[in-house]
Amino acid sequence: MLGYEPGDTPAHRLDPRTKLAVQLCFAVAAFAHTGPRGLLVLTGVTALALASARLSPVSVLWDYRFLLPLLAAAVLFELVTLGPPWVDPAAAVDPLLASYRTLLIVAVAAGYVRTTPARESRAAVQWAIPGKAGRLLGAGVGLVFRFLPLLRRDLAAIRDAETARLGDQRPTRERLATVGAAGLRRAFARADRLSTALSARCFSWNGTLPRIRFGVVDAPALMLAAGLAVTAVV
Amino acid sequence: MSTATDSVDLVGDDVVGNLVRAALLAALMGAFAFVSFPNPLNPAVPVTAQVLGVFLAGIYLGPAWGGFAMALYVLAGVLGAPVFSGASAGLGQLFGPTGGYLLSYPFAAALIGALIHGTDGLADPESVSLPRLVAAMAAGTVVIYGFGIPVYWYYLDTNLVAAVVGAGLAFVPAELVKMAAAVGIVRSEEVQAT
Repeated sequence: MLGYEPGDTPAHRLDPRTKLAVQLCFAVAAFAHTGPRGLLVLTGVTALALASARLSPVSVLWDYRFLLPLLAAAVLFELVTLGPPWVDPAAAVDPLLASYRTLLIVAVAAGYVRTTPARESRAAVQWAIPGKAGRLLGAGVGLVFRFLPLLRRDLAAIRDAETARLGDQRPTRERLATVGAAGLRRAFARADRLSTALSARCFSWNGTLPRIRFGVVDAPALMLAAGLAVTAVV
Repeated sequence: MSTATDSVDLVGDDVVGNLVRAALLAALMGAFAFVSFPNPLNPAVPVTAQVLGVFLAGIYLGPAWGGFAMALYVLAGVLGAPVFSGASAGLGQLFGPTGGYLLSYPFAAALIGALIHGTDGLADPESVSLPRLVAAMAAGTVVIYGFGIPVYWYYLDTNLVAAVVGAGLAFVPAELVKMAAAVGIVRSEEVQAT
């Protein structure tokens, strides 16, 4: 599963804001140039992004394999017609290019996911959205990262208990309701304990975050982002 | 590490409670991405419980914090928490075939919350009538598909019929199952709203 891993790749040393800018500008450029030539150039940029994070394209494709049926469906719907000539390859070209564009954008974003710790992402959020709104979002994002593994374990335990009682032979609606209710009860119980603990420990608006700053390594990446943004406009 | 020298400004108890509940509900929705059930109508596409999370956010947290919880879910996923379907993450998902659905969740949860609770304070979900619950969730589902189908159509450069069939009709029956499950949860008395 794709997630943050500590490391010393060039992408790890970049500022999170730089990486977010590259992703956004890449997506905008990809939408502006979805022709074969544009996508060829962007494939090069994607290869560069993956190499800088030492990610293999095959592992990225495997991590996002659930996207493939959705993309293939779009191509197939255009390829197959409900009358002669039955198969229309020319109509399928646009969805095929669009599907490939999606994979490129997802692959560049995978570089960010692999190389950016939650704390830095939180600092970037609070930099981008000033004031209490940004701080609430930053603190909330931190909590989601922290509690996701715990709640996953809770749900797995609930499902084990359900299976042990032959719950897996019940209708889907009942199973969803059982797992959902028990999961929600546990999540709210955790929330109540946590909010009491946070209040008791003086949870404040001005918590300490890692300092994020642009370094020399950010310069070429920011130039790449600016270049991508310019190509999208002209 | 950065240091701040201004005086400490404590977060009020109400905000702490709501923030934590919203964050945990967003995390629960992410955990739902790992749980799939057999689809009674279409065994090829298993049901994940994620949209159930949108319903629960609106029903239990109300319009403001329910919408906020879903915004947290999307933001955390964009920033790398594996909360999206298939336990994936990243900004790329917003530009993928399911991007429209992800963007719709905060709006859908806020709408469901507003229809169930009104705009002044939260009502106890157990006391809300069944037609109102179902109507609110149906409206939320319309918002989700109202975002999801056009975005799929636009991103994948396909025709509208293909988008409606590929991104909409294949999944709608499963939403009915989730609505029924949400009603079951609200009526189960297992979950205390406050």
